[in-house]
Amino acid sequence: MICLQAPDSLQASYVYAVKELPVVRPSEEVQLSQEVAPPVLVADILRRFTGVQVKDYGGLGGLKTVNVRSLGSEHVGVFLDGIQVDNAQNMQVDLGRFSTEGIGQVSLYNGQKTRRLQTAKEYASGAAVHLDSKRPVHSGGQFRVRGGSFGTINPSASWNQVLGRVTLRVSAEFLHSDGQYKYPCFDTTLVRENSDIRSLRLETQLFGSVKGGEWQLRLYAYGSERGFPGPVIRRALGFPFSAERQADQDLFIQGGWNQDWTARYATAVKFKYANNYTHYNTHPEKNPMSMPWDVHYRQQSAYLSLAQSLVLCSPWSVDLSTDVQHNTLDADSGQFVRPRRTAFTGALATRVVWEKFRAAAHLVYQGTWDRYDASEAGGWSRENSYRDAWMPSLSLFYAPWKWLEADAFVKRSYRLPSFNDLYYTQMGNASLRPESAFQAGADIRAQAALRSWDWELRVSPYYNRVSDKIVAIPTSSQFRWTMLNIGIVDVLGVDIKARTGFHEGDWQGVLTLRYTFQQALDHSDPASLTWGNQVPYIPRHSGSGDLLLGWRKWSFCWESTFTGERWSRSANIPDYRLAPWSISDAALSYTLDLSRRLALDLSLRCNNLFNQRYQIVQGYPMPGFNAMLSLTLRIC
Amino acid sequence: MKKTAWFLAALAVVCACQKDPETPDDSTQEASLPEAPAQEARLLFLLNEGAMGTNNASLDVLNVAQGTYVTGAFKKQNPDAGAGLGDVGNDIAVVADEVWMVINNSGLVEVVSAQDQKEIAAIQVATPRNLAFDDKYAYVTSWNGAYAKGSYDENYKYVITDYKNPKGVVYRINLSTKKVDGSVEVGYQPEGIAFQDGKLYVANSGGISSQLAPNYAYDKTLSIIDTQSFTVTKTVDVQVNLKNVYADGKGNIYVTTLGNYADVHSGLYMLTADGSVKHVGDYVSMSTILDGTVYCVGAENEYDWAAASKIYKAWTAKEGVKADWNFTMDAAVPYGLFALNPETFFVADAVDYWNPGKLSCYYKGKKVWTVTVGVCPGHFAIW
Repeated sequence: MICLQAPDSLQASYVYAVKELPVVRPSEEVQLSQEVAPPVLVADILRRFTGVQVKDYGGLGGLKTVNVRSLGSEHVGVFLDGIQVDNAQNMQVDLGRFSTEGIGQVSLYNGQKTRRLQTAKEYASGAAVHLDSKRPVHSGGQFRVRGGSFGTINPSASWNQVLGRVTLRVSAEFLHSDGQYKYPCFDTTLVRENSDIRSLRLETQLFGSVKGGEWQLRLYAYGSERGFPGPVIRRALGFPFSAERQADQDLFIQGGWNQDWTARYATAVKFKYANNYTHYNTHPEKNPMSMPWDVHYRQQSAYLSLAQSLVLCSPWSVDLSTDVQHNTLDADSGQFVRPRRTAFTGALATRVVWEKFRAAAHLVYQGTWDRYDASEAGGWSRENSYRDAWMPSLSLFYAPWKWLEADAFVKRSYRLPSFNDLYYTQMGNASLRPESAFQAGADIRAQAALRSWDWELRVSPYYNRVSDKIVAIPTSSQFRWTMLNIGIVDVLGVDIKARTGFHEGDWQGVLTLRYTFQQALDHSDPASLTWGNQVPYIPRHSGSGDLLLGWRKWSFCWESTFTGERWSRSANIPDYRLAPWSISDAALSYTLDLSRRLALDLSLRCNNLFNQRYQIVQGYPMPGFNAMLSLTLRIC
Repeated sequence: MKKTAWFLAALAVVCACQKDPETPDDSTQEASLPEAPAQEARLLFLLNEGAMGTNNASLDVLNVAQGTYVTGAFKKQNPDAGAGLGDVGNDIAVVADEVWMVINNSGLVEVVSAQDQKEIAAIQVATPRNLAFDDKYAYVTSWNGAYAKGSYDENYKYVITDYKNPKGVVYRINLSTKKVDGSVEVGYQPEGIAFQDGKLYVANSGGISSQLAPNYAYDKTLSIIDTQSFTVTKTVDVQVNLKNVYADGKGNIYVTTLGNYADVHSGLYMLTADGSVKHVGDYVSMSTILDGTVYCVGAENEYDWAAASKIYKAWTAKEGVKADWNFTMDAAVPYGLFALNPETFFVADAVDYWNPGKLSCYYKGKKVWTVTVGVCPGHFAIW
């Protein structure tokens, strides 16, 4: 069954306790239980959001990173139950790793999420994607099999068991896809090779409550083995584009405990230990055109956060969050310098919350100490291994009438240079500064309800400036690159979202239209040919439209997304122009009640209905028409 | 609700049918030479490497008589070759009214007519690097050894026999049949090659070996091949990481090196006719040869990875003697140098290695013009 109520209606917000009233609403929020036949990957949900560009290399195994409002994917924090999923190696989180199975809600915050008891790192990223698991309330389970085009099969199972004040959830998911899709290769049509993936995810979660508080614990294990098909280029017959393979084993344990000690004072403790192993091999014995790399990486991180919240007097509260984290990266490639990083993040936040007017101010300090074993790395300095930054931000909210509300924010944030930026053997500059992002934005929302219809319109203009942008510059040798803080990007944009829903008798429906305008200009060097040009991979115009219809036990959705012309580099010339594209997906689902405790959901999802040939990243063709059938057995 | 569904469907169809706009032809630029070249040159070719993995190697042509500069000439003259020139153009040379181009990551040696740049042949060579000619053959250095050693079988299929960092080879290609008809093993990851007096001189870099266990070592040798027997007759130690080779026509061979990016700087070395090796000077980012004089531009702070800009200095070498060269150029990333005559030089600027670069013409030490070229302009040839 689908539930099609407005997730964030104004009326509902007025009944929250003062402590819980949000100063800023998420820019986008999707309850996965309301999706008709949700796509396999979280990345395919984010793709529809305003202001979001998903950089997708194609296929279920292809890298998918998220860029929000042209800040660059390194500025987008991805949080799983409030704890950051980080990658010190390259600062990019692959959203192709996250399955929609087991995730309750996906939300996007531009600017500053500001809620009680956040971790300090939640204040510190430029934009944030939050993936929150659903806290189970009843015992029960779900068994699902999804399968379809390109040899894709995706079985999953989960079970929730309520044991007094503790609920146990176990889940497992397997994915296999051979990824062999047809694509146009210059003047012929080929099948994508070496694009397969196998992955297995096993999870155990515990949710508990104590007097005045609640806690959760998550054990996560993920293993995958995949091929990278490589860019499509002119290549002599008999040589493949790529034979690169990567195997990953990600393990983590994370948990949190929120406790209200008095009516005024509360704390939240969160922790995480992650151990990620990657084996990357270019397999020169299968592809003589590749560089012979065969490297094993192990990345570990330990993280602890304490957040405290104090209500000073009725509308005024203060939060103090302190996080410490330690990251290590080891590899068995020659001359690898084994970097270690210890980071402290502290955030002081204060909020004043009335019904009609709310304000929040935040000040974040982040300091990092880096150490590395430089004995084999000639020519690098150990200087400047301490980096720190202050990140202030301010959020305001005003609701003059019930049907109109607005919020605005200004924020300065930084992203640290990654281990690759600093210490990669063949490129690296140990004296890099953090990359800075200044953001200012507003969000104006109007809402109306008329009989069985409700309407919502959101307009969100913004301005961003990314400066000291870390850019890779090769030196006189193609083997040796260096990283410099030389880029400046100015972004002027607006996100517009209109939504209407109705509920009449057996019928319900929601129509959402989204449009994003982004002018993201390269302002690095006035003498350069590319000065004032649109930066790579950012369309000026993009948008999406979704229609959701429900009738009794049937539900149907139609989703179209449109991306305007883009360029693969800041030289906006015909050679590097990427054609606009638009794709439409549709899904149909039917629920069959087998008994009072047993229900079967049958659904069919068809992606890229018109078999559009398109590329998001130049040289990486995307799949054409594909379909996925899903059977879900629910026991409650 | 029906209306909106129709609207969505219409939107999808409209977007799906949208055509690419016609691209305007702005590829011809004004570029007249201040002085007619001494040699009877008709066209100057510039091979732009492009960025690896983005299939954007390109060929530009400067028409000396007309003073015009055309970018993307290969694509223009061969509209049916949908894939263009290919991925990473690494070397270019002219022989017998043909332009030979080494397209490294495509695994091809592309041969076009010098007159109209129409394709004559595309010869398969695994990871080709540089080329040289005698009157019968083209000789192409190849890293295929480093990547995965193998050979072509009777069906011209490349069969891999070893991939644990073996040595590179020089392939011999018949100029008239355009077929590979022999190969000889040289050092690790051979780069530049030059022909002089019946011998080939091959610079071995070890660029990949330096990244591989157990030795992590560059090659430092020059292989000398006798073209008659097509065998390596001598291997001479020079310095780590060899790059370009020039024959000065007087029996001397010049070799540039890239250094080890730590304590051994890039430089120029000379192998004299009597077989001794002489260190001529340090700091070579780009170089060229004209009438027995080697022209070099190098960065004195080449290993300062944090420096926002490099400090370039120009110098020359003649008969193994280093001399200052009063040549100041304005280029963000000097990437290619060509001397038309002792007063006319071309400097190719890679700018940021990702966007289109620039080509500037200098006459008597002054810049006369600059044109926009392809990505990573690096290699010149004259016809």
